[in-house]
Amino acid sequence: MSMLATEEKLSVTGDRSTPETRIEDGGRRLGLMLTLPAQLLVLFIAVFPLLMQLYISLTDWSPLDGIGWWQAYELWNNFANYTDLAADSRFWDALGRTALVMAICVPAEFLLGLGLAILFMDNFVGKRLFYSVMLIPMMVVPAVAGYMFFMLFQSGGPVNDIVSTLIGRPFALAWLSSPGTALIAVMIADIWQWTPLMFLILLAGLVGVPEDQMRAATLLGASWSQRFRTIVMPKMKTIIIIALSIRVIENFKIFDTLYIMTGGGPGVATETISVYIYKVTQQDLIWGYVAAIALVILIALSILVSLAISRMNAAKEA
Amino acid sequence: MTAIHLENLVKRFGAFTALKTMDLEIRDGEFMALLGPSGCGKSTTMNMIAGMEQPSGGRITFDGRDMNGVAMGRRGVGFVFQNYAIFTHMNVYDNLAYGLKVRGTSASETDRRVKAMADFLQLTPMLDKPSAKLSVNILQRLAIGRSAIVEPAIFLLDEPLSNVDAAFRAVMRTELKHLQRQFRQTMVYVTHDQLEAMTMADRIAVMDHGVLQQVGTPLEVYNDPVNLFVADFIGSPGMNLLKGTLADSDRGLVIDLGALGVTAPLDPALSAVARTNGVREVVYGFRPERVVLATAGQGLAMPVTFIERIGARTVVHFGDGEQRVKAVFDNDIAVQTGETVHVAVEPRFARMFDAATGVAIREV
Repeated sequence: MSMLATEEKLSVTGDRSTPETRIEDGGRRLGLMLTLPAQLLVLFIAVFPLLMQLYISLTDWSPLDGIGWWQAYELWNNFANYTDLAADSRFWDALGRTALVMAICVPAEFLLGLGLAILFMDNFVGKRLFYSVMLIPMMVVPAVAGYMFFMLFQSGGPVNDIVSTLIGRPFALAWLSSPGTALIAVMIADIWQWTPLMFLILLAGLVGVPEDQMRAATLLGASWSQRFRTIVMPKMKTIIIIALSIRVIENFKIFDTLYIMTGGGPGVATETISVYIYKVTQQDLIWGYVAAIALVILIALSILVSLAISRMNAAKEA
Repeated sequence: MTAIHLENLVKRFGAFTALKTMDLEIRDGEFMALLGPSGCGKSTTMNMIAGMEQPSGGRITFDGRDMNGVAMGRRGVGFVFQNYAIFTHMNVYDNLAYGLKVRGTSASETDRRVKAMADFLQLTPMLDKPSAKLSVNILQRLAIGRSAIVEPAIFLLDEPLSNVDAAFRAVMRTELKHLQRQFRQTMVYVTHDQLEAMTMADRIAVMDHGVLQQVGTPLEVYNDPVNLFVADFIGSPGMNLLKGTLADSDRGLVIDLGALGVTAPLDPALSAVARTNGVREVVYGFRPERVVLATAGQGLAMPVTFIERIGARTVVHFGDGEQRVKAVFDNDIAVQTGETVHVAVEPRFARMFDAATGVAIREV
């Protein structure tokens, strides 16, 4: 019996040269060759620019210098860009502003989206119509949304008109040119545009919560809020982390709508990190410095996202 | 412990009537099985008892209290779902503790009762295990324990064994009946499997097409089906049902089965009922297990068409076309396909139905 087993094992391990394995090896080679163009493409569009960015970020190179970027070593500055960055208060202010926008917009979008998704779990008249209407903001080109809100928030615009009607006396706040309110207007536009995405993702999550477990909880005497806390939220943990990650990353890069509405102004009142990078790139043309900023942000965001993913995996394990 | 009373219960889904005026009394502490093919309205009935669906008409009372409008969380009903609906994101302990926690039971009391329940159901070794990876018999015990821990007056079980493979079902049946005896709760058990209903229930309510057909102990339902549906549905194989005409003979009332011959004289009491009833076209019914071989020239002469050996027993199929008969014998029966055999049924095991209405003709 044991002899037989050993023989069997031997034949299994000594099987390298059977036609099947030869085909398998050939298959692997073929697979590599078929994916090679795509892999080279990824290398070219992702890895190569990253290395190029790292290289330039260690120099004072700018396109005005009249030498190719590959010759940037002639302007090597030994991490001066990074030390400058640490002392650049405009950078830190922009970063702080971005964080503020994120800290207000993402939770607001999440709560509004969740509330709407919960409403859409019930049936009501016109649900399909509302569903379509709800998704429109997400499909508007951000630049167009920017123009829309630019006009809405003019001092003689509809927003002020509505406020005037509500309070019963003339109201003519110059939203976009007052440092205190410009950022609020920008955040309202962002929340308007991106709540639907949250809504869509969270609705998918809610639909995925097993109905029988909800019923079981109800029969055991759990109230709506208890069911929400003990069944719905734990089941949706993964999807919530995904939704929040997407919005955090996207919100960090907030640019088009904002740039059209305020151009980062008045002054630097709405200058987020993307606007700052854009200005440094297009106006100051100090590309070595830009490369350093972008790299720092990339690393910071990567850390944030990997934290979120590890939380998500922990949630999945549990 | 609670008695459940269903009065004129009706459930319609749009134009479709799932349940047509059902009246049923489920006694305190009773194990009642709702048995019927899919679409017979048994699950609808159960969902209405639980409060998951609202009746379109009639009412449900628990010990006389009208349950209409009482939310499902407040009915004191324990529900075991077909797939058990275990909270897969919690461990065994948290599943058991759930009902107590949401009711605001103190932590020490919860802990004491969870441990007692786990001990009772032999779940103690797996209290800390995640519930997503448990085997099905543990899931069943956990589902029952999770409902039982809040001490519901009524236990509802919705086909809890339908996801279990056949070999394991017998084990689970025994376990379930055992648990019911210990909990002494009123249990309503929905199933399409007559074996489950027969082996576990105190009484069975047989349903078909939204109509309650018969309520009785397993033996009552088996021995004295009230109509052709129950006769055919209960038993495996079901009752043999042969069309015939009542005829008088010198030995008493008999049923003329046409080509198959004439039955033995009917039981005197049954004959009397049939005479007063005045029916002539009847259906003659008898259990396959009650068929015995008769000597040549006696009983019904029937050709053997097929022999089915199922181990301990042998099922012999007779006849063809309209008048088919199955008979169950010991496995050493000496018959062969093609030969014609004489079989008989003792008059006391014969049943009779009105051919026109399908209703049993029997002594009252």
